[in-house]
Amino acid sequence: MKDIRLILKTMLKEKKDILFSISFGFLAGIAAVSLFAASGYLISKAAFAPPIYTLMILVASVKLLGITSAVSRYGERYFSHRGTFTILKNIRLKVYDQIEPLANRLLQKYRSGDILARIVGDVESLQHFFLRVFYPPLVLAAVFIATIYFTLYISVNVALTMLASMIMVLIVFPAIFYLFQKKVAVSMREKRGALSSGFTDYLHGFRELTIFQQAERKKQRLFDEMVQYETINARENRQLAIREAIVIFFSFFISVLILVQAGFYVSEGNLAGTLLAMLFMIAITVFEDTPSMAVLPAHLEESKASSKRLIEVWKDEEPSSTGTREIEADIPLQFDFKKVFIQYPNEKKAAVQDASFQIKPGMNMAIVGPSGSGKSTLMQAMLTFAPIKSGQILVNGEEINGLAPDSLWGQMNVSLQHNHFFYGSIFENLRFANKQATAEACQEALEKVQLGHFPLDKQVLEKGTNLSGGEKQRLALARLFLRDASIWLLDEPTSSLDAITEQQIMDEIEKVTTYQTVVTIRHRLTGLEKMDQIIVMNHGEIIEKGTYYELMEKEDGYFQAMKELENQQLQF
Amino acid sequence: MLEVISYILMYNGLYKHIVICSDRLEGGGYLLKEFGKQFRTRMIWMVVISLFMAAAIVGQSYLVVSIIQQLFLENAAFSTVIPAVFLLISVLLLRTIFQYMIKGAGIKMAQTAKISIRERLLAHFTNQPMADAEKGQSGQKTSLFMDTVDEIDGYFSKYLPQVMQSAGIVLVVWIVIFTQNWTSGLIILVSAPFIPIFMMIIGVKTKDKSKEQLSQLAAFSGTFLDTLQGLPTVKLFGQSVEQRNKINRDSTGFRDATMGVLKVAFTNSLALEFIAMLSIGLIALEIAIRMIIFQNLSFFTGFFVLLLAPEMFSQLKQLGSAFHSGRASMGAASRVEDVLEEETAPVHWGETPLQKKETPELRLEQASFHYEQGNFQLEPATVRILPNEQVAIIGKTGAGKSTLLHLLAGLLPVREGSFFIDGVPQEKVQKTDWFERISYLSQHPYVFSGTVRENIMLGSQDEQSDKTIQEVAAYAGIWEWISVLPDGLDTVIGEGGRGLSGGEKQRIAIARTLLKKPQILFFDEPTTGLDIQTEHMLQKSLDALKSHATIITVAHRLHTIRSADKILLLERGQIAGQGTHEELYQNNKMYQQMITAQQGGRQV
Repeated sequence: MKDIRLILKTMLKEKKDILFSISFGFLAGIAAVSLFAASGYLISKAAFAPPIYTLMILVASVKLLGITSAVSRYGERYFSHRGTFTILKNIRLKVYDQIEPLANRLLQKYRSGDILARIVGDVESLQHFFLRVFYPPLVLAAVFIATIYFTLYISVNVALTMLASMIMVLIVFPAIFYLFQKKVAVSMREKRGALSSGFTDYLHGFRELTIFQQAERKKQRLFDEMVQYETINARENRQLAIREAIVIFFSFFISVLILVQAGFYVSEGNLAGTLLAMLFMIAITVFEDTPSMAVLPAHLEESKASSKRLIEVWKDEEPSSTGTREIEADIPLQFDFKKVFIQYPNEKKAAVQDASFQIKPGMNMAIVGPSGSGKSTLMQAMLTFAPIKSGQILVNGEEINGLAPDSLWGQMNVSLQHNHFFYGSIFENLRFANKQATAEACQEALEKVQLGHFPLDKQVLEKGTNLSGGEKQRLALARLFLRDASIWLLDEPTSSLDAITEQQIMDEIEKVTTYQTVVTIRHRLTGLEKMDQIIVMNHGEIIEKGTYYELMEKEDGYFQAMKELENQQLQF
Repeated sequence: MLEVISYILMYNGLYKHIVICSDRLEGGGYLLKEFGKQFRTRMIWMVVISLFMAAAIVGQSYLVVSIIQQLFLENAAFSTVIPAVFLLISVLLLRTIFQYMIKGAGIKMAQTAKISIRERLLAHFTNQPMADAEKGQSGQKTSLFMDTVDEIDGYFSKYLPQVMQSAGIVLVVWIVIFTQNWTSGLIILVSAPFIPIFMMIIGVKTKDKSKEQLSQLAAFSGTFLDTLQGLPTVKLFGQSVEQRNKINRDSTGFRDATMGVLKVAFTNSLALEFIAMLSIGLIALEIAIRMIIFQNLSFFTGFFVLLLAPEMFSQLKQLGSAFHSGRASMGAASRVEDVLEEETAPVHWGETPLQKKETPELRLEQASFHYEQGNFQLEPATVRILPNEQVAIIGKTGAGKSTLLHLLAGLLPVREGSFFIDGVPQEKVQKTDWFERISYLSQHPYVFSGTVRENIMLGSQDEQSDKTIQEVAAYAGIWEWISVLPDGLDTVIGEGGRGLSGGEKQRIAIARTLLKKPQILFFDEPTTGLDIQTEHMLQKSLDALKSHATIITVAHRLHTIRSADKILLLERGQIAGQGTHEELYQNNKMYQQMITAQQGGRQV
């Protein structure tokens, strides 16, 4: 119960839709029961050639009930689905509210980003909870109870039979099925994960597998995993079918039981014969929707698992340990790194070790080094996105963790290695940086990054999939031209551009940052001559520090060796 | 019997046709049809079972009516109906079992079909041109392989069984009703066709609207993930509140758009229920009139028909809801088809073993390659590479360097012209003979999920002692790293070598290659991103292999190029020059320009 409280709480907010769904569902169900009861009664009456007007009334009421049932069914479907999607919306907002303050720490914890896709998947699967788990048994119970109440007037014992079978179908069967459900779900998830990662390995490593003659073996293994997954999948489906069959047969059996019971009373003379067909019709109709109870446990288990995973994402996170001190907007920022160690959870090695350096206001600084050497981590730390294990980062003399991140970011212009763009127009994406930016300003910014040929109303697809790597980098920089900031942090801002375009754009940035601090992570070692400071990193350590000329003159210097290597390359 | 089946199949086809015409959004044509052929016996089996199930339904109604008739009208003693009650319970049990059998057959079909589709996708992806496989998009491929194929399940496990079941039952029950009371049969015959007609009218009327809504849906569905992924950007730009409102707006929009589409589906069901109701109501009226006014119909027949008619319509209703999952599956199938139709370029091999033990000579004669889509083409190339020669392939980005390298490595097929390995045409050479002689080092080597040992052992077909592994690892400069891992060689590394730096992956790849001792090494020289030590390690290992191996390098470094025995200069898919550094520098203008620019570039 604890696991599903998230969904329960959010669901119960939508009282109107829930109420309408249940009411219409009840109306549809009870109208159907009445309809078949009336037709059973009608046919029995007809056997005795009654006066025509009784027949007419019955036929008319059958028609009326039929229409009521069909229309109510429509209403039930409409409101239950509407409610489902409204609940989905609420869950999304709830999850957003929980995740938003934790985003930085979550991304530290799970660097791959898979976590987000999982969260979205879990939220989606929760939509079944209301539709398949919560309201169907309520509707069924309501219809059952009303029917039993009506039956009481005809035969108390038949009503008792119905009550007992209702308890079986609504409580006992689902409970038993649920116990079986749990095991299968877990092993199926495991098999699916194995197949998925096996496939990814096969696809990415295909060249290696071919050359090392392991492709056939790996393919065979993948095939075995495929068969295993499908076998367990089919087993799960068959189990569901068996459960459904059990419920269906039980329903039939109860209907026959009621027929026999009522038939016995008729033969004993304790019950009017005209009611026999009616009671049977009632029984068979009231059980018609019970097979949905067979699949309920599966959906319940799924919802529970999803809900649990979601809560786990934020459960252990402390409620925001970030600081609240605002930094004054007019004072330019100075950063002091003092013996900083950074280590991501779940990783064996520290990403940055013993980093000490200073960034003075107005400085032009570059960070260089091979991939995986900790360059980006340094920058993430300046954004409060990295977990500092020991040491200090001071911003204008104050501990960075004590500052309100918003006030810090307000002074920064940042281009990350993977910049995010949203589904929408170029204009909307640019205005993301500055809500007040005019169309002219945006057009100007585009020209500065040599994207002047882009119309402002051009659509950007999710994550900018319709843009090339170079276009994305340039668009990310264009955003920054629309925003005032005292410090620019750029992580390989031009790695996908050719050397000439790179130079032109860096010149544009230089023009607007005469008095601002600029920190750039570089993958190419060109144009570093004017830097006030270059930090060279390798294996998480700062191994060299200084101006271009200082570094080039150093004997056996790492930077010099890197530069030498780059010089040997043909430039195309 | 056969006639009945063919009628049912025709009915099924007709129904499908109507629905597909009314909504052209889905395709999923040939793939599912092929399975239709493969599963013919299974489907006939399903139809046969559904006829049995229909018989059980008829029997059930018959028994119920006769029990009520005896107790109610004939005032029979209770004991006389007991055999009928037991018979009724058995018939109901049979009905449930038959229904389960049809479902079970569908589940079995889904299992077979999904394995077969995944196999085909796997074969397809492996036959795709190598360069394509590297293009990223692997997330999409994985999602297609896993999720989309799973979506097809419903077609076989839900939709087809329901079609077969409904077809059989509707037909049999209708025949029984017709024989019992032909006027009731006639009422059904007249009213039933209104169901598809109604659906079509509703479908046509709302078609444009739902199309527009569906495209809206596609746009909405990803926005939540989009926002979560963009959270760092959102926060850096101080847009958290604005994004929350956007989720709210988008989710509400998503709901309203979805409801628009669903309303159509619900209206369809409503129409179906109305017609069913109308039809059953008419039957009831007709029966009542004949029983009361004309008194030419018995209670037995009347009740019998009145029990059977809803059974029939309930099958149609179930078909309607099963159609939902059928349609989703058809959409998924058509997405799989789209991928299967993409170009493939499998490399064919033969049975001829390579005669010599030594390094083979490679010869391309007017060999060319082109992709079916896109306009890149490797023009006919004639190249001869002697054993143990050092070859450098150079050229601008997109000149076709990797394509030529892949062609020589036997990873892409020669489309025209020929490729000789020691004088034997490549397509006749035994595949294992070739691949056991070569190795390939790329800029981004792939590390598999598994232990470090397994990853290095990829280089060897035989068992290797820990000592040998340690030796190659030490030579590749990775032993130090391995020895401090918690489980040493048996430490598990994740898929794609997650958590490993570029240099560490490169060194594992070097260790693999050293273990393999190839006669021919294909090498894509790294441009940036490697640390200096790894660079040196790479150079050292190459030098060690040099003396007894052909090395073909996509080269970026002047050092590699100058020391090569042969340079292949590529320009827009064409070999614009070949020879040593001196030869090209004397005779080739483009080469001169490149070298001069490089030397000048240093001073800039």
